Amino acid sequence: MRPLTMRRVVWTCTLLAGVLFAVSVMALKLGAVPISVSDLVVSLGRLAIGRTDQLPLDYRLIVFDLRLPRIVLGALVGAALSVAGAGFQALLRNPLADPYVLGVSSGSALGAVLALQFLPQIALATPLGAFVGAILTITGVYFLGRREGHLDSTTLLLAGIISASFLSAIIMFLMTTLTSRDVRGMAFWLMGDLSTPLVPSLRWFFLVALLVGIGAIYTTSPDLNLLVTGEREAMHLGVDVTRVKLVVYVAASGLTALAVSASGAIGYVGLLVPHAMRFLFGSDYRLLIPASALGGAIAVVLADTLARTIIAPTELPVGAMTAIAGAPLFIFLLRRSMR
Amino acid sequence: MAQISISDSHNAAGGGRERGALASVAAWIAIAALCAAAAPARAAVQADAAPTGLKVTDELGRTIVVPQPVRRIVSLAPNLTETVYALDAGDLLVGDTNVDDFPAAAKTLPHVGAVLAPSLEQIVALHPDLVLATNDLNRRATVDALAGLGLAVYVTDPLSIDDVLASTARIARLIGAGDRGDAAVADMRARLNALAERLADVPPRRVLFVVWTEPLISIGKRTFLNDALNRAGAQSVVEIDDGWPQISFEYALKLQPEYLVFAGSLAEANAPAADELSKLPGWRDLNAVRDGKIVIVSDAIDRPGPRMVDAIEELAHLLHPDAFAPGAPAGGSRLVTPDNREEARTACAR
Repeated sequence: MRPLTMRRVVWTCTLLAGVLFAVSVMALKLGAVPISVSDLVVSLGRLAIGRTDQLPLDYRLIVFDLRLPRIVLGALVGAALSVAGAGFQALLRNPLADPYVLGVSSGSALGAVLALQFLPQIALATPLGAFVGAILTITGVYFLGRREGHLDSTTLLLAGIISASFLSAIIMFLMTTLTSRDVRGMAFWLMGDLSTPLVPSLRWFFLVALLVGIGAIYTTSPDLNLLVTGEREAMHLGVDVTRVKLVVYVAASGLTALAVSASGAIGYVGLLVPHAMRFLFGSDYRLLIPASALGGAIAVVLADTLARTIIAPTELPVGAMTAIAGAPLFIFLLRRSMR
Repeated sequence: MAQISISDSHNAAGGGRERGALASVAAWIAIAALCAAAAPARAAVQADAAPTGLKVTDELGRTIVVPQPVRRIVSLAPNLTETVYALDAGDLLVGDTNVDDFPAAAKTLPHVGAVLAPSLEQIVALHPDLVLATNDLNRRATVDALAGLGLAVYVTDPLSIDDVLASTARIARLIGAGDRGDAAVADMRARLNALAERLADVPPRRVLFVVWTEPLISIGKRTFLNDALNRAGAQSVVEIDDGWPQISFEYALKLQPEYLVFAGSLAEANAPAADELSKLPGWRDLNAVRDGKIVIVSDAIDRPGPRMVDAIEELAHLLHPDAFAPGAPAGGSRLVTPDNREEARTACAR
């Protein structure tokens, strides 16, 4: 393995940021309503000099009120899911771990279903219920996953998987009691859907919380490099294993909770992107975490652009897109890395 | 080997780690700035949309302001598209969904996507003064997103035939067709009253309305469809209040409905020919299947719109042939017997 240099980190991140920018501009241009490149450049130019009021109303609404927030939300959700996935893969020392393996998505889905059932008049019922459900699940799994006062990877994994299936069973039960329109809405949400824009008042909270979560996992990345070789070895090399595990658990779960509350359970991104980044750039977590953040953002923005355009004007849930593209890609990576 | 390279990179860390974090943070801040820059645009749009219009409360209790006169309408549900056409206001429609198929003109309107997942930007690009949606078919998220963009979205939520009539009259007033709306409602009400008079002394048929066969899904009491059945001289045997209950076969067997009723489009998907059902375990034990008392009613009965009265009349004629003079309106509805099941099925598929 090539040693990681700061130059490589900077170059890789710059490259990925460039790709993300290109993908985002493409996503701004593509959509059910055609918008020419020249118009897009003009409107982006006006945006850059702060003259959005000079834009035609259509462009303001379509490009800046519909597409841009959706792209930003997709990028943030993708980054959160990928970093959470990378974190869980290290924490559980399991390559199959993804952000949902510990039951966060089931917990938030249950929260959302309950909120829909009992507080349907509240406008933010789904995201708030989802967030509360996720936080409760995270807390519950944390206490179930401890052994002798410390988080134990195997116990945590088992506790998470059991909690997830238990919560899913409750969801199945509740779904049969929901009215048809709520079931259809829920099904859409469960697949992962970015068509609902984030409420403006929550945008800054969301952004800051995501950056804090990603940053927290990033600070543990040198320790994660050692942790993946084994807990005992890491401890001998001076890693505070208990603290690192706690930080990664809380941060990765928190990121997942935020992502799921905003957009439902978008599958495969958190599993696939860290593996793809490992395949491309090596498994050093100091590079893997920022690369996963950017790679996840690229993946979700790309998938959502396809979801919006592939059978336009009908929109697919982005989760359907990531699952369709994700499974074959995962097999491909697996075959390649086995050679 | 792995150990060594990891501790190597551990030592090389320092600046590289921080630089990487900085680059990543900077990228996100740039994106956040883009997002923030877009925010003032929204405020401006809402100010534009404020000018005088008709302030009404829709059927979900949302207060909306509809610009007057309404010149451009986007309909997000087939029954509302039909309603607008029935009010002679079809020329105001500038967009509908993929599934809007009646009248034929609805098929050629620009489509904004599927009922559940329309393209918001396509709707915006059509510049509607008014967007019509239903609580039953559309997602609340779609409605809220459109309202957030400054569009007037009127959401209907009919739970009974009377609700549909009231809804029709309200939409008519919104789009400046109040007189035509009142006339259409008066006509439908007169026909329903005539039907009620005709069926006054006839005991209602006990029916099982089949929404789906596997699993067996029927309708709840508090639905538009249940009311439609009642007015056609039928009574649903399922004693469950809300929505679309999935019921067990034992329950259906115990209830032994006199008739099974399928709606056209559903029947097509289910192919419930009496002959086939009579071979299936469970189904063949239903008296209605054994006696060939299976009715396929036009799928208009499932659409809270102008054609629902036609479907109700047709169903009433099929269930109570003795109460009417011969030569009853058949429309798209028929009684399925082993002799005509092929014909019936193709009629549904049409």
